[in-house]
Amino acid sequence: MGGRDGRAGQDVLRRAGEASVLILISLAGGPRHGYALIQDIRDLAGVELGPGTLYGALDRLERLGLIESLPADDRRHPYRITAPGAAALRAHLDSLERVSAAGRLRLRLGGI
Amino acid sequence: MDGPRAARLVETVLRCYPARWRLRHGKEAAELAALLIRDGTPAGSIAWSYLAGAARERLTPRPGRRLGTVACALLVAACLLGVSAGLLAPAAPARASSTSQARGRAHCRRGSPEPVPGVIPAMRRPPVIRWEAGHGRSC
Repeated sequence: MGGRDGRAGQDVLRRAGEASVLILISLAGGPRHGYALIQDIRDLAGVELGPGTLYGALDRLERLGLIESLPADDRRHPYRITAPGAAALRAHLDSLERVSAAGRLRLRLGGI
Repeated sequence: MDGPRAARLVETVLRCYPARWRLRHGKEAAELAALLIRDGTPAGSIAWSYLAGAARERLTPRPGRRLGTVACALLVAACLLGVSAGLLAPAAPARASSTSQARGRAHCRRGSPEPVPGVIPAMRRPPVIRWEAGHGRSC
């Protein structure tokens, strides 16, 4: 875990893809299983996540230690965001905010 | 597409995933597909998403697979080294036997002024000490 905690400050989600970021944002609101994640992301961002994309991103995030699987209820596996996952999401959102602010400033300065 | 046909299509596509993945997500993935179809998502689009996911799953290198590649590379390197050592081993004693004893010893005496029998001295040149492989053994 030490290595994972060490990366917490970096933006490990930079190359993770939009689906991974949306899943982490959804899980930041509490543990969810696949179907609930798809519905929440649709409501939250207006993005229709395909089930194949969802499971690929879930596996990747779990391998990175950013989320963890909770004991299954019936057939469904709920997932929960981990502490390194929350730190990575925070770092990524901070980075997006910086880029967003710079973009807005340039648009204003350019008079576009 | 009617329910049973859609379910069959999704199940067929889910078989494209590796067994390890199906063991972990298979039942949940089938149930999720059924729920999405019930909500009005076209079965074809769900099947396509799973098909793309299966392709990604099979093509993405896993840490285990990477380790396997490294182990394979190490094995090949070890084999090559073994073959090289095997080829060089018979040549080394032959080279050693062709070197005269007197000459070998002469090389050991650094800057030895007296002429050594069997060695042609260099004409008006400072003696050159050559540190060759196997030098230490003969001294």
